[in-house]
Amino acid sequence: MSAPVVTRGLTKRFHGGQVAVDAVDLEVPAGSVYGFLGPNGSGKTTTIRMLLGLIAPTSGEVELLGEPMPKAHLRVLPRVGALVEGPAFYPFWSGQANLLRFDAADRTADPKTRKARAGEALERVGLSNAANKKVRAYSLGMRQRLAIAVALMQRRELLVLDEPTNGLDPQGTREVRHLIRELAGDGTTVFTSTHLLAEVEQVCTHAAVMSRGKLLRQSTVADLRSELRPRLIVRTPDLGAAAETLQGMGVTELKTSEETVEGDPGELPIEKFAAALVAADVRIHGFGLERPSLEDAFVALTGEGFDVAE
Amino acid sequence: MGVAQRSRRWLVPVATVAVVAGVGALGPVVADASPKLPTITAQDLLAKVQTAKVDGLSGTVHSSTDLGLPAIPGMDGADGMQGASQVLALINGDHTARVAFASPDKAKVSILDAQAERLWTSDGTSAWAYDSSKREATKLTLPAHSKAKPEKTLPQSYDPQAVAKQILTAIDPTTKVQVSGTEKVAGRDAYKLRLVPKTDKSTVGSVTLAIDSKTWVPLDVTVMPRTGNDPAVELGFTSVSFDVPSASSFTFTPPKGVKVTDEKVPSKAERPHSIPQRPGNPSLIKPTKPGTANAGKPTVIGTGWDSVAMIRGAQTGGLTGGPLGQLLAKAPSVQGSWGTGKIVTSKMISALITDDGRVFVGLVTPDTLQAAAAKAPR
Amino acid sequence: MSPSEATADAAVAVRPSAGRHTLALFISELRLVFGRARTQVGLGVLAAVPLLIGIAIKITGSEGGTDGFIGQIAGNGLFLIVASLGLSLPFFLPTAVTVISGESLAGEASLGTLRSLLTAPAGRSRLLAAKMVALAVFCLAATMTIWISGLIVGFILFPVGDVLLLSGSTVSLGNGLLRAFGIAIVISLSLLGLAGIGLFISSLTSTPLAAMAATFGTFVVLGILTAIPQLHAIHPWLLIYRWQSFADLLRDPPYWHEIVRNLLLQAGYLAVFYTAAWARITSRDIT
Ligand SMILES: Nc1ncnc2c1ncn2[C@@H]1O[C@H](COP(=O)(O)OP(=O)(O)OP(=O)(O)O)[C@@H](O)[C@H]1O
Ligand SMILES: [Mg+2]
Repeated sequence: MSAPVVTRGLTKRFHGGQVAVDAVDLEVPAGSVYGFLGPNGSGKTTTIRMLLGLIAPTSGEVELLGEPMPKAHLRVLPRVGALVEGPAFYPFWSGQANLLRFDAADRTADPKTRKARAGEALERVGLSNAANKKVRAYSLGMRQRLAIAVALMQRRELLVLDEPTNGLDPQGTREVRHLIRELAGDGTTVFTSTHLLAEVEQVCTHAAVMSRGKLLRQSTVADLRSELRPRLIVRTPDLGAAAETLQGMGVTELKTSEETVEGDPGELPIEKFAAALVAADVRIHGFGLERPSLEDAFVALTGEGFDVAE
Repeated sequence: MGVAQRSRRWLVPVATVAVVAGVGALGPVVADASPKLPTITAQDLLAKVQTAKVDGLSGTVHSSTDLGLPAIPGMDGADGMQGASQVLALINGDHTARVAFASPDKAKVSILDAQAERLWTSDGTSAWAYDSSKREATKLTLPAHSKAKPEKTLPQSYDPQAVAKQILTAIDPTTKVQVSGTEKVAGRDAYKLRLVPKTDKSTVGSVTLAIDSKTWVPLDVTVMPRTGNDPAVELGFTSVSFDVPSASSFTFTPPKGVKVTDEKVPSKAERPHSIPQRPGNPSLIKPTKPGTANAGKPTVIGTGWDSVAMIRGAQTGGLTGGPLGQLLAKAPSVQGSWGTGKIVTSKMISALITDDGRVFVGLVTPDTLQAAAAKAPR
Repeated sequence: MSPSEATADAAVAVRPSAGRHTLALFISELRLVFGRARTQVGLGVLAAVPLLIGIAIKITGSEGGTDGFIGQIAGNGLFLIVASLGLSLPFFLPTAVTVISGESLAGEASLGTLRSLLTAPAGRSRLLAAKMVALAVFCLAATMTIWISGLIVGFILFPVGDVLLLSGSTVSLGNGLLRAFGIAIVISLSLLGLAGIGLFISSLTSTPLAAMAATFGTFVVLGILTAIPQLHAIHPWLLIYRWQSFADLLRDPPYWHEIVRNLLLQAGYLAVFYTAAWARITSRDIT
């Protein structure tokens, strides 16, 4: 079976000429949990909208579950659970009533089991107690949970979630992660956009990084991490001597801060550096290899700037 | 789906507009396309019309009149002008009426007003007038000898046959007559007979009759003014059936809760004045204006297209105020051997109101009107 | 990839009745329209129209006197239905239709629920159809509310009996009720053109209030154009030109010509604006 999500040269140019998504080629393997990363305004939501046929690509193609979008949306979308850009509901209706309406919009959904399925979905996101409360009275996190419940009303082959943990409390975040793992365990492919690198590290098997509308990287999380070279870190008062020694041993990218010297150790085993430093009379307060986080990788890829890309 | 493909969807509503507008605008034209009929001379056609005889008919008549009259708001309030305002209301604008006729003396006319109806019916022995907005019925008892001439006691204004006959009697050397083609009227094939006045004193440009090719009954009358492209008067059937309507359709039973007044029709076969007459039709060529109670019987001066009617005793003195008075005040003053007065003109009708209380009206130019006034008896 | 294939099969298995529940969206749409307090208040106001007229006439005791249908109420309660429908047509009913139609798509867009519906997937054309059907049902519900309220109030406050038609003939009460029902139907169909305009305007924006204002503005402009005599050449094309023709049902026999023309005109407006709304909604970027 082909990949559940495939895009080729996907491009969106908004009125006014801004290119929000620029020739993006995604390939989401079946069964993966695919983290879709990128700074604010990098085009994640726009890409997701195109995946789901909400907006028309300026050029390029989308294939969802092996069928062309948006042409086959009536056939494809019932098999896809979606949450796009924040929770949106009828505030004057209860959470359950909202679920029933969205389910009714899908003509393949069985009305006989509708109520039961709504109950299950609410249960799964922990909203059973608030099922009959008007959405107007929901907190942001409750709405976010309800939005996830919409995607869970049926068994899906693919979940497309735009920032599913946005606004959730720590328990909620953990539960959602747990839910995603569980769904993935059942064979559902999950495509989730997020800013939270921790989330990616904990649940994602694959990741892609967007920046300014362009896809920078797309690979397994393991690959992404293994590409990050571990760094040697030495805490010492003798900064100068330590740096000199390490440089002499071929350590590159040396950086000196108040108490530490760090750098890329290259291929040498770590104990050799300890021995050399001791031999050079460097006082060692701390010593070790540190694996950079995905966050570092992310920043390395997308740059340090805080301003949103324009 | 590309953006270009999406914008192509707008072709659907655009095409819908075209279809709707096309059906709305051209539909009637297509339906009214000129039918193919054997050629006929004007004289033969006239002869057929004169001898046309139907035992009964029923149908719907539509009249649309634009005499270019100034709108006079509040006319109804003017005391003593009730009759005139009624006639004006009937003359101008669009009206639809249901008509039925059965030989020899049964007839019924219902004018379909907005959310109201006025009807006149005669079953030969008694005649009724009913006004739904006032919920008033008037019973007219007909004198015995008038039975034979029902058209004298009933408004014929919605009977194109009567109208056309009157027009045809006006045909004399003053008129050019020709068959000008064919058309479909009320779903029937008809010849078009065109009458053009030879005089230039009349405001009438032409009168066209549509004459049914089977029964030779006139189905439609169109009066064009001398100037302008819009008909001044158009009166014709929109649907017609030549089946004789049943006798019961002419009877009228005054419903409960309706005020009934009895009225005897004078035996001189004068038209009961509760019946508005010949609204908006070419019979105004020989105007026999309905008199208000205190106005005299009109006198006709001249013949043919440029004849003028004179009515005595109009209360012009009492018209200093009110909208009509304002209208008169604005009207240009004229004077001549006949005296002084005000002249009111429109696309079709000219009226001269003299200071001594005479009113001259005609489908003529103002000059012709003054000339007629000079000839008129004081 | 086998797990996914298994999922696909499972998914098919859990949806044995795929494609059979087209009606659900339409029912849900009705629930959305009629479940809202706003709609219920609107219908309540319409229901109050016959009540207010009835009480006013009862108090002032105007017997005859007044022209038209109002003047007939005191003599026959059935005319309360006709008079109420007639009096609601120029303003109350169009206002109600404006509010509901302006809300229809713009309301969903402003809440963001439009994207949830479309990813459900409702299908854009089908969603539009559901919106239009709900609007049509609302038009009918609005006039039927007046009909029923007029019936109840008329029968309680006034004597009822045989019905005097415009043509001066009298028909049975049952026949009269049927004609009043016909009037309600004709009036609700007369509102469809306006509903179509509202639906289209609603598809253009994400601000329901703007859609309502624009729809009502359009209605007012059409009304003004209809009132300008110099424009008589275009009058037959104007939405409300033949709205008053419903009274032709009270002639003997009913005069259908104008009613049919009115309904054809409404159908024309509806066709144009519905297809325009369709073109818009199916090509619109939903954000
Ligand atoms: N409807 C629109 N019209 C014009 N520009 C838009 C529109 N929607 C989004 N954009 C622009 O496209 C770019 C990408 O926006 P998008 O919402 O896809 O970002 P994102 O990656 O989802 O950001 P975030 O992390 O904040 O959710 C932004 O610069 C945004 O300003
Ligand atoms: Mg986003």
